[in-house]
Amino acid sequence: MKKFLSLLLAGVLLFVMAACTANENAGKETDSKDDGKKEESAEKVLYLNNGQEPTSFDPPIGFDSVSWSALNNLMEGLTRLGQDHEPEAAIAEKWDISEDGKTYTFHIREDAKWSNGDPVTASDFEFAWKRLLNPDTGSSAAFLGYFIEGGEAYNNGEGSADDVKVKAVDDKIFEVTLVSPQAYFLSVITNPAFFPINEKVATENPKWFAEAESFVGNGPFNLTEWEHDSHFVMEKNDQYWDAETVKLDKIHWAIIDDTNTEYQMYQSGELDVSDVPSELSEQLLGEAKVEDQAGDYFYRFNVNMEPFQNLNIRKAFAMAVDQQQIVDFVTKNGEKPAYGFVSYGFADPSGKDFREVSGDLVKTNAEEAKALLEKGMEEEGYDKLPEVTLTYSTDDTHKKIAEALQQMFKENLGVEVKLANMEWNVFAEEQKALKFQLSRSSFLADYADPINFLENFQTGHSMNRTGWSNEKYDQLIKDAKNEADEAKRFELMYEAEKILFEEMPIIPIHFYNQVYLYNDAVSGIVRHPVGYVELKWADKK
Amino acid sequence: MTGYIIKRLIAMAVTLWFIITLTFFLMHSIPGSPFNEERNTSEAVQRNLEKFYHLDEPLYVQYGMYLKSVVTFDFGPSIKKSSQTVNEMLGRGFPVSFELGIVTLIVAVFSGIALGIIAALRHNGFIDYLAMTIAVLGISVPNFVLATLLIQQLAVNLAILPVATWSSPKHMILPTLALATGPMAIIARLTRSSMLEVLTQDYIKTAKAKGLSPVKIVFKHALRNALLPVVTVLGSLAASILTGTFVIEKIFAIPGMGKYFVESINTRDYPVIMGTTVFYSSILIIMLFLVDIAYGILDPRIKLHKKEAS
Repeated sequence: MKKFLSLLLAGVLLFVMAACTANENAGKETDSKDDGKKEESAEKVLYLNNGQEPTSFDPPIGFDSVSWSALNNLMEGLTRLGQDHEPEAAIAEKWDISEDGKTYTFHIREDAKWSNGDPVTASDFEFAWKRLLNPDTGSSAAFLGYFIEGGEAYNNGEGSADDVKVKAVDDKIFEVTLVSPQAYFLSVITNPAFFPINEKVATENPKWFAEAESFVGNGPFNLTEWEHDSHFVMEKNDQYWDAETVKLDKIHWAIIDDTNTEYQMYQSGELDVSDVPSELSEQLLGEAKVEDQAGDYFYRFNVNMEPFQNLNIRKAFAMAVDQQQIVDFVTKNGEKPAYGFVSYGFADPSGKDFREVSGDLVKTNAEEAKALLEKGMEEEGYDKLPEVTLTYSTDDTHKKIAEALQQMFKENLGVEVKLANMEWNVFAEEQKALKFQLSRSSFLADYADPINFLENFQTGHSMNRTGWSNEKYDQLIKDAKNEADEAKRFELMYEAEKILFEEMPIIPIHFYNQVYLYNDAVSGIVRHPVGYVELKWADKK
Repeated sequence: MTGYIIKRLIAMAVTLWFIITLTFFLMHSIPGSPFNEERNTSEAVQRNLEKFYHLDEPLYVQYGMYLKSVVTFDFGPSIKKSSQTVNEMLGRGFPVSFELGIVTLIVAVFSGIALGIIAALRHNGFIDYLAMTIAVLGISVPNFVLATLLIQQLAVNLAILPVATWSSPKHMILPTLALATGPMAIIARLTRSSMLEVLTQDYIKTAKAKGLSPVKIVFKHALRNALLPVVTVLGSLAASILTGTFVIEKIFAIPGMGKYFVESINTRDYPVIMGTTVFYSSILIIMLFLVDIAYGILDPRIKLHKKEAS
């Protein structure tokens, strides 16, 4: 008995000692960090939060914003989005486009180097792009490479790597042939999925991207420390061709998943930038910087299910929604209400914004909505409207919006709609299987062009999820994708969006935005509407 | 005793196998997939991903592969964080959760027992009421509320402690306080009620009559018996605290393993779900086993080898 007790005591002692030793090490770390802070006048360190552990720093695998914010600053593609969100020369210093608009010849900078000193070559791009499309890579970004001739066939197993039309002509010349002329191709390839990969490094160590020690990039910053789930650190990359422009010495990224904690750390000066916690959005919106993000919060009708097979009933429901009220009183986060599907920020060749030219394609109008509902019911021979259930995935904001919609349908149409919520993953599965009548949806653009929004509603597209199909619409999208003349291409897209709203398979609610609080000392952080953050021009006083 | 232990070990292995099998088939019966995305993914991409993670194989083949990976302690790569393996994630997260958990347990057990004893000795007195008020508050205030409150007061307003993250002993204070309050309250209440019961028993009266000092009576004679119910809850409590808690780790940005339990299910990250389940159940089973052994030591009337016969 006594033996057991002494054993137990010894055990407890061991635990405590183990805990203490761990702490001593940890203590040293903070000391060095404190030193770093003291030298701040000499060294510019930006403290940011990445929210979650990056999915992966393997470019075709890390296809989400938690990976992009880091990747986009650690590496660089042929082009990079500039401060005006337009693609500009990056690793490629210039390019030639063939007359038919399908073949791009990129000239890679002589001084483009990897962080280990190797030159960036055209074959690094060929290697990376073929790897993106290789079905064995398991990249969810692979579909972006379908623009390239032979890309889709290789990825779905029908073609081979040799048939993909990407070619390193010599060390510095890289040639790509597209399926159709696409002016926005230069913007698509700013996506991290198209970053080059140092072939030599990747062959020697296939998991080169998993740790800071083995990571080799070619961007403005260099990954120097990565403690998974805790934080990572990047430092200015001296090998970068445009290192002169880079002002920061170091960026410390914390991984804090809780917005309230993030905001509290911002208050106590441990972070330079913070999200706005949703409970405080009303108070803090004034201090925050609000920027556009390319994407929509919207609702999908299922046009195969009663009563939404009827166009007038769909229109009635869409017109009964007051988007302005939702952004003013429900979300309260400074969003722009959506009366169309393509978001703000895409200029046509004449310089006008797509959204402004296309105009408000659905407008709140209770009276007309009511009349349309009656008309629709008459057409279908309904005495009473079949029961409608509105489904959303479990989340506070989604719930609030759903309740507001329920109220609007009741007030403006006199229709009692039932609400249902579901765990996100089950919801996504059932929505794809068209099991809901009316359900919450969102879309974030993968690249900066209106066609990325509009192509979603082609017949059978994996993003359609409404059962809606329209031959003329499909044709317009197809034509737009093959149109080399920008003015004509925009005309086709304007027409397509008009058809979409004449047919109304969706109800747009609001466009997304990016809302952040910035420490006064920080400047020059650029956030692109397509979701990546740019720190190349960032500075801290 | 040895026979009993061997028998228990076999039973533990069988239990674990049951848990693994049940979790595996339950997990695959939930609708949804790790590749469900709100964004666009083409069908070919979807197929490639499934092939990559062997999710296109029949379920029994996947089950066989999984059993093999459990026996070899190699749970494979995570689907969502594909550059990491489940082993790496657990290997990194568990020590952090364990460190926080063990400090929390020590704080909770010692302060809980102390509070319970004081309350029992001053039964129905002011100190008893005070201690039990603290205990009721500790049980009824959820730890995430307490955590946010502590951060706002001590870290933001008074600025004497860091808000969050995990890098120095200072960073441990707030999460330990937030996490320990609940278990402390439970232990205090349990200790109090069983102490009250024990203190009225004859052998305590005998001890008092013998003229033993009150300290000796309480610590040598009463406490040992009064601790039995505390030891019972300690087993499962230790297992859950040592493997990390989702909410506290999230609020304080602690890189422990608590989040994997919740996130892996939300994202249907099958290898991580299985890895965390096997890991947690192993620890729980071991803890329960230790509790049973501890019974025999604390109360000699409980004979472990008799259980063997029944």
